[in-house]
Amino acid sequence: MKKVLLYLDKNRPQDLSLFAASKMLVKDEACIISAIGYQEDLPLGNSVYDEVMIIDEKHVMAYDTMNLTALLKQIQHVHHFDIILFPSTPLGRILAPRLAIALHVGLVADVTGIDAHDGIVELIRPAYSGKLMAKILIKGEGPLMMTLRPNIFTYHSEDVKQTVYQTLKKHEPKASGIILLETKQKVAGKDIRDSKVLISGGGGVLHQFNRLEDLARVLNAVVSASRRVVDSGVAHRKIQVGQSGKTVSPKLYIALGISGSVQHIEGLKNVETIIAVNTNKNAPICSLATLVVEGDAIEFIEKLLVKIKENNLNFKEETQ
Amino acid sequence: MKIICLIKFIPDVEDFKYDYERNVLIRENMKQILNPEDACAVAFALTVKRFYPSTVIEVLTMGPQSVSSKMEEILRLDVDHATLITDKAFIGSDTYATSRVLATYLKSSSVDLILSGTHTLDGDTSHVPAQIAEWLELPHVSNIISINMNSMDSGRLVLSVDHDQTIMTFAVPYPSVLSLSKDSAFKMPYVRYDDLNKEVSHRLKVIDCAQLGLRKEEVGFDGSKTQVVSTFVKTMTKKDKTEVKIDEAGLQSVIDLLKEKGVLA
Ligand SMILES: Cc1cc2nc3c(=O)[nH]c(=O)nc-3n(C[C@H](O)[C@H](O)[C@H](O)COP(=O)(O)OP(=O)(O)OC[C@H]3O[C@@H](n4cnc5c(N)ncnc54)[C@H](O)[C@@H]3O)c2cc1C
Ligand SMILES: Nc1ncnc2c1ncn2[C@@H]1O[C@H](COP(=O)(O)O)[C@@H](O)[C@H]1O
Repeated sequence: MKKVLLYLDKNRPQDLSLFAASKMLVKDEACIISAIGYQEDLPLGNSVYDEVMIIDEKHVMAYDTMNLTALLKQIQHVHHFDIILFPSTPLGRILAPRLAIALHVGLVADVTGIDAHDGIVELIRPAYSGKLMAKILIKGEGPLMMTLRPNIFTYHSEDVKQTVYQTLKKHEPKASGIILLETKQKVAGKDIRDSKVLISGGGGVLHQFNRLEDLARVLNAVVSASRRVVDSGVAHRKIQVGQSGKTVSPKLYIALGISGSVQHIEGLKNVETIIAVNTNKNAPICSLATLVVEGDAIEFIEKLLVKIKENNLNFKEETQ
Repeated sequence: MKIICLIKFIPDVEDFKYDYERNVLIRENMKQILNPEDACAVAFALTVKRFYPSTVIEVLTMGPQSVSSKMEEILRLDVDHATLITDKAFIGSDTYATSRVLATYLKSSSVDLILSGTHTLDGDTSHVPAQIAEWLELPHVSNIISINMNSMDSGRLVLSVDHDQTIMTFAVPYPSVLSLSKDSAFKMPYVRYDDLNKEVSHRLKVIDCAQLGLRKEEVGFDGSKTQVVSTFVKTMTKKDKTEVKIDEAGLQSVIDLLKEKGVLA
């Protein structure tokens, strides 16, 4: 019987990728899967988890990774989990390494693939700026720990269990030292990871990037960008697709003036269809596309908008 | 105030060399650049020193001997000390072993702030600063996008952090480990013309494994808890694709595909 602990992070509590990854790690073996986190990030009632542990904010705050590590270490000493998984979100990425030191175990960051065979678990992650993929083995007794890139591992079954809930009370509150003064929501704009259709622009549309919004509005889509556009200051980093940006899985990805570097492609997972518009029909992105449109991307936007209007077409509500 | 900046020289990713048989990056004789976020950390320390001239800045790296000339370049700015921790025994260190080495050195120094980048471009784990903070039992804040200079001498440092959906502002005690994001506005200054050839080597300290009091089994491949088994280059799978131009027929095939995918009706 394998025991698995999943840390559910503030930012994406609805994400089942940790659960999906734990299924790949334990394979057919029987297992108990526990989730831990803060009340507002956890499911209510029955869920895919066997057990949910609720951390009390009065005792330790999520950003106080020093004391949160102490709490998780205590829990590990009681429960002896075989596997502990974190999402590679800003907090997950600094909490997991602290716990790895506290437990004296190895840790692999930002895992994008799992290869479990013959009792061996090999973890795959991009290395050296995405120029290579590395297969990594964790040595020692465990627990097996890693952070996982959100949106890569997906889970489909509707299986729901009778989840047991437990609020963690035992932890001694400690003076955290870090004081939270203010939390500001970023001006929302839909998260590119949640959109089914992305209109993405690169170096080829750098100078008229705002024209992408026109097409996005008509297709009920969200605009994203390559790093070239973000680095030039034309778009915000939060809409960057790729290895150093976000991983996205839309149904349709329209790539306008994007060459398709390895680092950019790294951010495209389970994308059903790509339409690539490029003056160079041999750009790398075109070899991934279902449809390649050779030509100027801005001209493409203008003419397509006219044609959509002429044909009296509208987006379907459910595309979002 | 004593500030130590953790810096790492990374292979220029455009031109990297790799030993495929031993699964290690060949770091010797290779073009190295300062990790961009670590440059932000040094730049912030230099800003502090401009406001508070009594500030002492040390840059610290664990890396190959070959980066000593790079360390000297940084000493030609207003940086007081540079420490290079280097030993053949360190080859193959993962983040567990690397953070152990760096933390062992830091334990012996008294320091008010430890600065670092949020992540490196080559390793890109974000592990090292968090792990050092754990070895030293210090608070740690990462992804820092701005720091309020006026708070410097109020006992706690006020700074803002990017957490994906939110920006959080914290007051952080001394000493702490602070990791800066590349979105922080701190830029490295240029070396003054008169200082270009300044003799600085006496301010560069070089330390090896034995001097740190670590055993060889505690570092390098043996002291690591993870192991790279193989590396491979990703191949793209080719798809059946249609190629069109921006003309009537081409636009019609786009519309057809948009309809087929349920985007338009
Ligand atoms: C450590 C590291 C991490 C990185 N992470 C990322 C990442 O997360 N995301 C990312 O995107 N990149 C990332 N990169 C950068 C990546 O290597 C590329 O530099 C970047 O993706 C290039 O963006 P691009 O394709 O938009 O621009 P370009 O390379 O400038 O390509 C422009 C494309 O547009 C076409 N074009 C030109 N004019 C037109 C026109 N008028 N109409 C239509 N097409 C036109 C060109 O043929 C070309 O294919 C990273 C790099 C490094 C080193
Ligand atoms: N070998 C090293 N020597 C000094 N500092 C390092 C080293 N490796 C990583 N760091 C610091 O830790 C940060 C995060 O690195 P990483 O954990 O590799 O993503 C870097 O930006 C550096 O500030």
